[in-house]
Amino acid sequence: MLLLPQALVDGLLIGGIYITIAIGFSLAYGVMHIIDFAVGEWIMLGAFLGLYLSQWTQMEPLLLLPVVFIVFGVLGYLFQPVIYRVLSGKKGNPLLMALVFTFGLAIAFKGLGLTVFGFFSRSIPSAMAANSFTFVKGDFFVTIPVIRLIGLVYAIGVTLVLSWILKRTDFGLAIQALAQNKEAAGLMGISAKKTNSWVYGIYVGISAMSGVLIGCMFSISAQMGSKYTVLSFFVVVLAGMGFLAGVPWAAFLLGMVQSFFLIYFDPGYTLLAVFIILYTVLLISPKGLFGKGV
Amino acid sequence: MRRFHPITVLIIALLLVLPQAALAERDFYKVGVITSLSGDLATGGNVTKRGYDLWAQTLNAAGGIEINGQKYKVELVYGDAQSKPDQGASAAERLATQEKVDFVLGPYSSGVTLAAAPVLEKYKIPMITGSAESPMIWLQKFYYTFGTIPPVNYTGASPIETLMALDPPPKSAMILGSNDTFSKATAEAFKEAAEKAGIEIKKFNIVPAGQDLMSFMSLAKALKPDLVAFGGHDEELINLVKALLQINYTPKALLMHYGVTEPAFVEALGKNAEQVYGASVWTETVHAKGEDLWADAAAYAKDAEAAFKVPADYTQAGSTAAGIAFQAALRQIKAVPPLDEAEREALVKALEKLDIQTFYGRVKFAEEGQYYHANIGLSPLTVQIQGGKPVIVGPEAEAQSAPQYPMTPWDKR
Repeated sequence: MLLLPQALVDGLLIGGIYITIAIGFSLAYGVMHIIDFAVGEWIMLGAFLGLYLSQWTQMEPLLLLPVVFIVFGVLGYLFQPVIYRVLSGKKGNPLLMALVFTFGLAIAFKGLGLTVFGFFSRSIPSAMAANSFTFVKGDFFVTIPVIRLIGLVYAIGVTLVLSWILKRTDFGLAIQALAQNKEAAGLMGISAKKTNSWVYGIYVGISAMSGVLIGCMFSISAQMGSKYTVLSFFVVVLAGMGFLAGVPWAAFLLGMVQSFFLIYFDPGYTLLAVFIILYTVLLISPKGLFGKGV
Repeated sequence: MRRFHPITVLIIALLLVLPQAALAERDFYKVGVITSLSGDLATGGNVTKRGYDLWAQTLNAAGGIEINGQKYKVELVYGDAQSKPDQGASAAERLATQEKVDFVLGPYSSGVTLAAAPVLEKYKIPMITGSAESPMIWLQKFYYTFGTIPPVNYTGASPIETLMALDPPPKSAMILGSNDTFSKATAEAFKEAAEKAGIEIKKFNIVPAGQDLMSFMSLAKALKPDLVAFGGHDEELINLVKALLQINYTPKALLMHYGVTEPAFVEALGKNAEQVYGASVWTETVHAKGEDLWADAAAYAKDAEAAFKVPADYTQAGSTAAGIAFQAALRQIKAVPPLDEAEREALVKALEKLDIQTFYGRVKFAEEGQYYHANIGLSPLTVQIQGGKPVIVGPEAEAQSAPQYPMTPWDKR
């Protein structure tokens, strides 16, 4: 019982990490209907850029997040036409081809990472990673690591900014129109090619920034990507594929399950619990927690 | 009936003939290497590769293995286990059936070794693993499998004994292990030794591999154990220290296994790697005199540093020693390449009787009991990161420095 407040806080903080890795993925799926298996590798590449930039500039890595976002945003924007070409093919099953394409991309990035960055695990040193707030009230206590809190604030911030863009701007309206009906949106003068490039750029930029945050909390390596791909896939499926507003809730739910299992039950069954929840939700509501997935 | 183009026939004929060509006489030993060059365990896998490569390069530069006055070089053929046991078994199958290797230098990680060993038993090909440490491997009593690194239940007690000699010794512990063959065995070895020493175990858990350990460290902050011990691979060890840092809890002693001797551990954590304890059987300062290739540990460390620009750890040294063990056994039985089944059988017998001194220490494989075919020629050492390097702090007879205890709090570093 004494650990209940800590378990709740830990669940929220773990959920925050899940939001950071899944929010961009959900956006990309919602608009482009592409399951990007390379999401983990974009996270990995972003983490390494953060590491090298912070070593080079001797700056706090968290201050470099905008630089990482711009670099990878541009990269994603320039890269998207390649995926668009696969997606808009006339023969075969373009959606399936795109799936295979991103899977191949993930393997290529991983190989590139192993060759360029080497196989050793690294860590991004951040001054924020060694601080925490501790609150004590009688026998109860809660410790909140600063870096995790920053992660949670970042996750909520990104979610709010994306929601604002989608709901309050013309660009957001164009994205929504495209997600709903590509042909009709095209007839209204929305360029699917351009808008998709922007969306992919934003998604890659967000994923790369998340990589830097993750690198401040955990170790990073060229082979880290697949773990985060699976996690973001979990969160997005639970939230409802492409339903952006569901991502934080799904992430918090998974975070809470993980935290409570670790503290109160046998941690060996954490993944089993996560899978059971995922399967149960999908059985009852195949379109995710809120029934609003694509 | 459709007729084949002559070029197609030629290609098919060549494909049929080529595997036969591999059987033909050759004047070098074909050595299979199964290790994880990609996947989660790529770090350790590549470290073993360095160990095997350095052995082959140095041996070939010296002319090769001398049998009856003639020298035979070695050629390494790699099979990537991709950090997955099933891929390790496939690699073993390919090396045995297609590459027709004479013997095998074994995988990184116990899980892959346990999957590859039965395949090599089937094809009667001897294997020495330079980096698999689960006691489970040796309990299976594989006839063709040997290992140069002793199992964790042989080495794991050493750091606990070193800690118990301190004044006052740790009274309570939290012991965790990641859910893979090696890490689980390490955690269990720590637990057994701690219980034997009378340390109160406040929490013992096996956690899913790659688990975020922050919640556990929150628990540690509440339970306040003197000792936090963890069985895991390199990435997880770094994550554990980072989780402790984030939650701002410094136990009196933090114990891991061999991973702390990997250069990546110190490089990733810097000053926060200081004072972490580990278990090992080799460091570059260990007293060992070699009969083959390297005269002592320091000479090996120097060559390794020159070749790879990073210090050698004991996984790399153990892998190189695996090659030396084969080399010594082959010299004894005077078998020239390629080896047939009877010669491979004789090689196993020679390995069982082998008792040699190397830069890595004594190599002597157990012939019976729970350590069957594991190397029992070495003394377990307790190491602690001091001044950015693993330093031997126990047992007393081998110690180069006194253990630093309790740990300096993270915020005072």
